[in-house]
Amino acid sequence: MRLRRLAAVAAALFVLAACSPAGPDDPPAADGVTTVSVRVWDDQVAAAYEKSFAEFSRQNPDIRVQVNTTSYADYFTGLTLDVASGTADDIYWLNALYFGALADGGKLIDIGKALPDEVGGWVPAAVQQYTRGGTLWGVPALTDGRIVVYYNKAMVEAAGVDPQNLTWNPTDPAADTFLPAAKKLTRDAAGRTADQPGFDPGTVTQYGFNAGRDLQAIYYNFIGENGGRFQAPDDTFAFTEPRSEQAFSYLVDLINTHHVAPPASATNTNYDFSRDQFLQGKMALFQSGTYNLKNIDDGATFAWGIAPLVAGPAGRVSVVNSVIAAGNADSPRRDAILLVLRWLGSEQGASFVGGEGAALPAVTAAQQGYSDYWAGRGVDTRYFGAAGGTDTIPAPSGPKFGAGSTAFEPIFNDVFAGRVPVAEGLRAAQDAGNAALR
Amino acid sequence: MTVPRILRNGAAYLLLVLGAVLTLAPFLLSLMTALKTPLQFASQQVLAPPAPPTVANFGELFGGRYDFVSPIVVTAQVVAVILIGQLLFSVFAAYAFARLRFPGRDALFWVYLATLMVPQAVTIIPLYAVFADLGLRNTFWALVLPQLFGSPYAIFLLREYFRTIPADLLDAAKLDGAGTLRTVAHVVVPISRPILATLAIITVVTHWNSFLWPLVITTGRQWQVLTVATASLQSQYNGNWTIVMAATTVAILPLLVLFLAFQRHVIRSITLTGFR
Amino acid sequence: MRSRDTRTAYLLLAPSLFGVAAFLVLPILVVVWLALQRWDLIGPRTFVGLDNVVAVAQDGRFARSLLVTAVFVAIVIPAQTVLGLGAALLLNRGLRGSAVFRVLYVLPWICAPLALGVVWRWILAPTDGALNALIGHRIEWLSDPVLALPSVAAVTVWTQVGYVALFFVAGLRAIPSTLLEAALLDGAGPWQTFRLITLPLLRPTLFFVLVTGVISTFQVFDSVYALTPKGGPQGVTDVVAGRIYYEAFESRAVGQAAVMAVVLFVLLVAITLVQQRWFSRRTTYDLST
Repeated sequence: MRLRRLAAVAAALFVLAACSPAGPDDPPAADGVTTVSVRVWDDQVAAAYEKSFAEFSRQNPDIRVQVNTTSYADYFTGLTLDVASGTADDIYWLNALYFGALADGGKLIDIGKALPDEVGGWVPAAVQQYTRGGTLWGVPALTDGRIVVYYNKAMVEAAGVDPQNLTWNPTDPAADTFLPAAKKLTRDAAGRTADQPGFDPGTVTQYGFNAGRDLQAIYYNFIGENGGRFQAPDDTFAFTEPRSEQAFSYLVDLINTHHVAPPASATNTNYDFSRDQFLQGKMALFQSGTYNLKNIDDGATFAWGIAPLVAGPAGRVSVVNSVIAAGNADSPRRDAILLVLRWLGSEQGASFVGGEGAALPAVTAAQQGYSDYWAGRGVDTRYFGAAGGTDTIPAPSGPKFGAGSTAFEPIFNDVFAGRVPVAEGLRAAQDAGNAALR
Repeated sequence: MTVPRILRNGAAYLLLVLGAVLTLAPFLLSLMTALKTPLQFASQQVLAPPAPPTVANFGELFGGRYDFVSPIVVTAQVVAVILIGQLLFSVFAAYAFARLRFPGRDALFWVYLATLMVPQAVTIIPLYAVFADLGLRNTFWALVLPQLFGSPYAIFLLREYFRTIPADLLDAAKLDGAGTLRTVAHVVVPISRPILATLAIITVVTHWNSFLWPLVITTGRQWQVLTVATASLQSQYNGNWTIVMAATTVAILPLLVLFLAFQRHVIRSITLTGFR
Repeated sequence: MRSRDTRTAYLLLAPSLFGVAAFLVLPILVVVWLALQRWDLIGPRTFVGLDNVVAVAQDGRFARSLLVTAVFVAIVIPAQTVLGLGAALLLNRGLRGSAVFRVLYVLPWICAPLALGVVWRWILAPTDGALNALIGHRIEWLSDPVLALPSVAAVTVWTQVGYVALFFVAGLRAIPSTLLEAALLDGAGPWQTFRLITLPLLRPTLFFVLVTGVISTFQVFDSVYALTPKGGPQGVTDVVAGRIYYEAFESRAVGQAAVMAVVLFVLLVAITLVQQRWFSRRTTYDLST
């Protein structure tokens, strides 16, 4: 008797157990509705996508789109495992660091071939960045625009700093207007600024700038602005060259010598540390991209503004990075995937991303919506475009950039923390990165 | 030479209290932080109590973008299914080893014991490969299958216990015409309640806290267990300690409550078996 | 009769036999096979013979992770044993409330090491962590290469002390009080009694605590993953289990990770066997109480 009851309970549990409250494994819905899943890492854009896909499903009642968000820090580890075991989403975002390996592995739908008529409507830089072997491997979803400087108005006014016209220079202190400004903008607990005697770097309450191991917002641009390069044309790492090394040294000194930026121990392991400091009113200048505009607009409780990124000896040089939505070549829902991708690459589909101000769409015709949205909120977005400069440094490239960065990042951590001399650390990082490329 | 007893006891108490403070402080500090708003956390002293306390973090955890209900349910399901499977199949195997004579028994038992030496870090890669090839990754069964069929350790403990059951009892059942399953269900299981309870506790604690296997065999929200959800939340909201501490509180609390409710039994179980 | 028993026995054993074969024995074979393959998780597997062994031997990180783990064990085990014994002695004085303290001390051990790791990651955080706020000074507990490993070890000790103490309390209770009284009557001081009577009689407990402690500490992963991801500053907290995980699932060098796993397995079997020999030779007292 008891045995039977136990068996019944066990059976019930086993049946119940196989359903997750988080979905989306519900049985294929009635009437042949296909569910296409999309994986992204940005909450803001995910929210805009939900609205976009609601409209898509209205026009295509037989396709439902499910958006899955994973944190950026875990995104690529999880994605790789999923691709490997055939459990990846139907559509997923990729950036330059990781797309090469998946493209070469035959895991992505050839978009150039599948949607040839649409390519002309997409931002050319994005199309170029994700074309490998003559093939475009995804629909450009977002483009980051140029890197800018977000500034805390009260802080720059109090320090008498004009954030629009700052120039750094690693060799000529007289030409360097940025460092003195950053020092004036850095304060300790006693209210002393970093250029005053008695300044205590241990008790900083307001940082001047967000120097740190941040590829996109910081060191790529500094390298470019000093006329250096990160990768050679054959994709090997070449950042030990003198001009690149000067840029790194300058950044490391900002952190460890001048103490105008947060300690590397805080920023190395936390991508968002500086943004949070800025939002909490503990940082004056925050160099970043379009991807943080919505966060800052939502989170800042003070008056802020946007300036072009800090100029260097070679002027204002920015990395311009894009993100693609790639189609899973192993998925059986290829036709539905292509419909969704076509939607994401269309003006209407992408307009939700721009129109919500979540991110700058890489569909050229949808970009106006982004500027309009922000103009409506009193935010001037022109520095994300040509007004912020026109020179660029090439974005990360190569099928194994991800593997390389996994190898050199720990050493960069030490470089930025001041634990190893810059030249020595860069040499070790470059060797490790290049070894990982083989 | 002889320190008065009262002084020695006083010193002992002082040390005991110091130990208790050191043990409890992290729990209390994390709870305090979980009850602060991000603004309070940024502007107040880290060690100051939340004024006023807020449950907003828990609200966001359960109702906001980050759905923490699902991981709790999934974890509970995983633990429940593993618990049933482990107890059932371990009892079966232990009964066979303890009470039946059959060729190959001792050799087989040694194989079981030897597998106790296989560390998880070694099996994780091959099991990943096998599950991925079978298309079982990111499924509920991937979470429970490796643990479902009984553990050598539980079998070992139960076998020791079953061997102490007087033979008369089992013979009497047999004389009444009871088959093996009936004997196990009606004679063996009832007298083995204490050790079964111990095993149940071990199983619940181990699998509630399990992390590495769920980390590699699932991705995404669907089959995310609590530990993986906590780790992923900490990397997503890195530095937003108020919500992260709310998550750790949720991950820790159920077991703490369970432990405090059954502490006498749990402590006895630990010293009896030295599990883990 | 006998053959019916055999049939019944194997029927009863069938599920667990499947479990042991499929999830404990088969993986050992598969991991050895994987060690001979090149596999990046995405592409196909190709046989490369001993290339992975050579690669692992040339890459200093695996050797470093073995060293890191050894140092970690060498810090954690003595510390938790001494502190656990100390706590047990305090708990065993028959003071009122001892039972409550005993329960409190075990609390950390019952919780998920991962969740506690996350809690401690905040407590030890450089700029907004609780500990630095308490001492009013910025110390880089988890990001300074000198401090990181001791900090992680301290957190591990913190979770284990109460658990270790439980065994010592049980061991102390098993010591007949007549023995201790006799020693006191003979004029032995408390220290002498402890050294000459208590400690030798605790030997079985001590060995049990050491053996299980070394084996489980050698495999530490969850708390280190939470406290110092990716091996910590300059890889000083890159323990073996973590190295295997990162090699397989982040660097996607599965073959090399499999080689490491095989080495770890052989090492742990060796440690277990050595300890067992030592254990069986030295144990003179029965642990059964």
